[in-house]
Amino acid sequence: MDSHAEHATDTHGHAHPELGFIRKYVFSEDHKIIGVQFLFTSIIFLGLGGILALLVRIQLAWPHAEIPLIHNYFADNGGRMSESFYNMCFTMHASVMIFFVIIPFLTGAFGNFTIPLMIGAGDMAFPKLNMMSYWILWPAFVLISFSFFVDGGAAASGWTAYPTISSVAMPAGQGLASPAAPGSGPGQVLWLLSLLCVGVSSMMGSVNYITTIINMRAPGMTLYRMPMTIWAMFITAILQAFALPVLTVALILQTLDKTIGTTFFLPDGLSFGNWSPEVGGGQPLLWQHLFWFYSHPAVYIMILPSMGMVSDILATFARRPLFGYRAMIYSIAGIAGLGFIVWGHHMFQSGMDPRLGTGFMVATIMIALPSAIKTFNWLGTIYRGNLQFTTPMLFALGFVSLFIIGGLSGIFMAATPVDIYIHDTYFIVAHIHYVLFASSLLGIFGGIYYWFPKMFGKMMNDNVGKAHFFLTFVLCNCTFFPMHMVGLAGLRRRIPDITAGALEAKLLPLNEFMSISALLLGLAQLIFVANFLWSIFFGAKASQNPWKSNTLEWTTGDPVPGHGNFDTVPIVHCGPYEYGEHGDKDNCPQTEKSTTPATH
Amino acid sequence: MGNKGWSVLFGVTMLACAIGFGISPLMGWWMPEGVSTHAGAVDGLFYLILVVTTIAFVITEVILVVFMWRYAETPDGKPPIAANAGFPSFLKPFERFLNDQHKVELAWTIVPSIVLVVIVFAQVNTWADIKYATRNRNDATAANKARSQVAVSARQFEWRMRYPSVSRFKGWMANPAATRKDFESFGKIPHFNDVHVVNELHIWKDHPVVVHLTTRDVIHSFNLPNFRVKQDALPGKMIPVWFTPTKVNCKWDESRQRYIDGYDPAGKKEKDKEYTWDIACAELCGWGHYRMIGRVFVHKDQAEFLDWLQKTEAEGTRRN
Ligand code: HEM
Ligand SMILES: [Cu+2]
Ligand SMILES: [Cu+2]
Repeated sequence: MDSHAEHATDTHGHAHPELGFIRKYVFSEDHKIIGVQFLFTSIIFLGLGGILALLVRIQLAWPHAEIPLIHNYFADNGGRMSESFYNMCFTMHASVMIFFVIIPFLTGAFGNFTIPLMIGAGDMAFPKLNMMSYWILWPAFVLISFSFFVDGGAAASGWTAYPTISSVAMPAGQGLASPAAPGSGPGQVLWLLSLLCVGVSSMMGSVNYITTIINMRAPGMTLYRMPMTIWAMFITAILQAFALPVLTVALILQTLDKTIGTTFFLPDGLSFGNWSPEVGGGQPLLWQHLFWFYSHPAVYIMILPSMGMVSDILATFARRPLFGYRAMIYSIAGIAGLGFIVWGHHMFQSGMDPRLGTGFMVATIMIALPSAIKTFNWLGTIYRGNLQFTTPMLFALGFVSLFIIGGLSGIFMAATPVDIYIHDTYFIVAHIHYVLFASSLLGIFGGIYYWFPKMFGKMMNDNVGKAHFFLTFVLCNCTFFPMHMVGLAGLRRRIPDITAGALEAKLLPLNEFMSISALLLGLAQLIFVANFLWSIFFGAKASQNPWKSNTLEWTTGDPVPGHGNFDTVPIVHCGPYEYGEHGDKDNCPQTEKSTTPATH
Repeated sequence: MGNKGWSVLFGVTMLACAIGFGISPLMGWWMPEGVSTHAGAVDGLFYLILVVTTIAFVITEVILVVFMWRYAETPDGKPPIAANAGFPSFLKPFERFLNDQHKVELAWTIVPSIVLVVIVFAQVNTWADIKYATRNRNDATAANKARSQVAVSARQFEWRMRYPSVSRFKGWMANPAATRKDFESFGKIPHFNDVHVVNELHIWKDHPVVVHLTTRDVIHSFNLPNFRVKQDALPGKMIPVWFTPTKVNCKWDESRQRYIDGYDPAGKKEKDKEYTWDIACAELCGWGHYRMIGRVFVHKDQAEFLDWLQKTEAEGTRRN
């Protein structure tokens, strides 16, 4: 590792000339600024995705009511939401939350911000590429926002965009309007192009992260001294690098189907209303295979970094070494490896050969094992600790508590015969939200509260943060837990009017309860936004190491280091988790020599 | 909130979730009664996983809450437990084991692995029985002996059912061996005198039916929650689906001159929700997806089914 010392020296702070505002804060090459840029855009899109979610919830609880505020928009439908509009809402909700919120938050904001700081590097390996990876998102933002205003509205065939409803098109030259659904016209094309840009951005990011972590660690920062956050980011980046090309291919194929009349996903002999496509020969299942080959690894892209951050936060505030550090790393690697051979569990009922389903089931159920091991390790970490209930710690504990539910519900769906009944019901929706909202997003909140002092040099208000946690924790259970029950009772996902089916109508009261909880949950997030913005300007000044953490980002000279991060190259002497039992001091920063016999 | 208060919050919230789940069956927020032969196995596996996951849930959440309570930082900043504190008395017998981190880790890897492997193996046969049977022509399972067949073609936003004509159907019943070829090609090859019906699946009790499922436009999903049946209809493909109904829900209504469903034969109640069995499309297929709902009519025996088929065929002929 010593050869890297040389590289790290010439990137430190004071070697850089002063930059103008534009180069410093807009087209910045500093990983910390880029991270914060990702952070702000993700928060804004979180707002958009949240509003779409609330529209969905309103429709689900009060299917025949006029929609408040925007009822004029639905004048020709008596002020009520149209079915197509509803389909657009949940499609865009999921697309925005997955591709514009969770992934940019985790890999964009936290990946960028933490990686160089926590491994003791001056910046990313390729700062210009890093800048590009942010700015290539802007075409995506523009395309996706614009898509709401085109003919037929934004995409409406689900975030999974299954052909043929998403992909069928009139013959080339007859416009983009879709014969199958209004939202599958120009809106779908923009959706595809926008996701392509997001993919390119993620790819640039992951190449950068992998290179940086392999090549730019400070002297002494061996692989097994890296904090879990970095391990998680590393493995996530590898997942992205291998899975994304497949999504890219799928998106391009569907774009071609939609625009120049290819038929990759369109078989022979179909008819839509009284129009029949002249050519076919394609395969709708092909899309599902390609899509899930990316999107299953993507669900881990959306959780592993959160798991890493939660591990670090738990150890810090339990003042205990992380339990089973190596087992944690192997579990993440195991999840990532198995994650590539389980995609078919989304396709058990799709018409794929059922024998294949059996194989996918075996792999899927086994993937619960590393998840379980991680949970046990988190519990082991807080055992005999000295738990400090700061806001980030509460979010981390909330993560552990609710990830248990999300992981366990996965087993039901992985069991092929049980999945026959619960596939495409609200049980799935419950699962998704326990792992993505109640786990990933809680981890993200934890990370924001935790690294805010490093980002802005201020502390977020802890009491307000706790109020935010309290409401979020309680209300997200009120919103998402009953979804298990309505799902078991047979409520299908993706329907705008639950009074249509014989089994579903009686679930209306429970739906109302969930929707009211969701509205309150949405309101509670305003507390966070207020705290976040207020603290940037008026928060208490942060000290250099407010949480008494061990990792390198807290050893920089200034609380918010300049471009280049470290004044002198940090030299690492021990692992990141030497908390507790150090005489009168209960931590040992990685730059200090450990006083206990090294464990790793 | 005091430090220990947080463990209470976690405990209460998780307890509330557990209680909510516990009372769901009483509130009707639960799986409807199963009315096919698949239901027993599918529900059994569901309950197996429910038991295992409940145990895992309780153990982990209790440990989390207890630790959060026990190890909360004290207000005066003293460590909540002495550095050399031993185990509580009820754990004393396991002290040696618990102090050996390696053994503990081994245990919590091996025990869940075994449980998970058991869960996996429990699924395999049920899945094969439900989904492979009709694909294997030489298989002597119930599905392949079925003399009840329906071809279902989905489209935005309805289910079109095709039944054999009365004479063809009688032929199958009278001489299965001689009509085998015609019987087997029913799904693929429509006849000019087939009987067509929209959104009504007619079958009879205790007799397996094979549905030949296709779609002519987008993906739909043939979802019969009461029967624990779900299969996507895939454009460009015909997929066989089989099941055996175990309860009756229809009768001849003299005044309306047609068969009605939603009928509870025991209580002689009409329009009973419990006996209304939807074919509710479960794969997003466009604006009308939510109301793409057909109905299953389970007749009490073959004779009643034949009666329905005759009446329906006659009606069709009259219409022509
Ligand atoms: C214990 C581990 C897990 C298992 C066994 C598991 C299993 C499954 C299965 C079998 C499905 C498909 C259900 C169906 O459509 O019928 C599913 C769906 C899903 N899972 Fe998981 N899962 C696990 C963890 C996770 C995690 C950690 C995440 C994300 C952070 C996640 C995100 C999702 C999402 C988003 C879907 C729904 C996709 C859609 O149809 O829209 N899962 N899971
Ligand atoms: Cu998956
Ligand atoms: Cu449909």
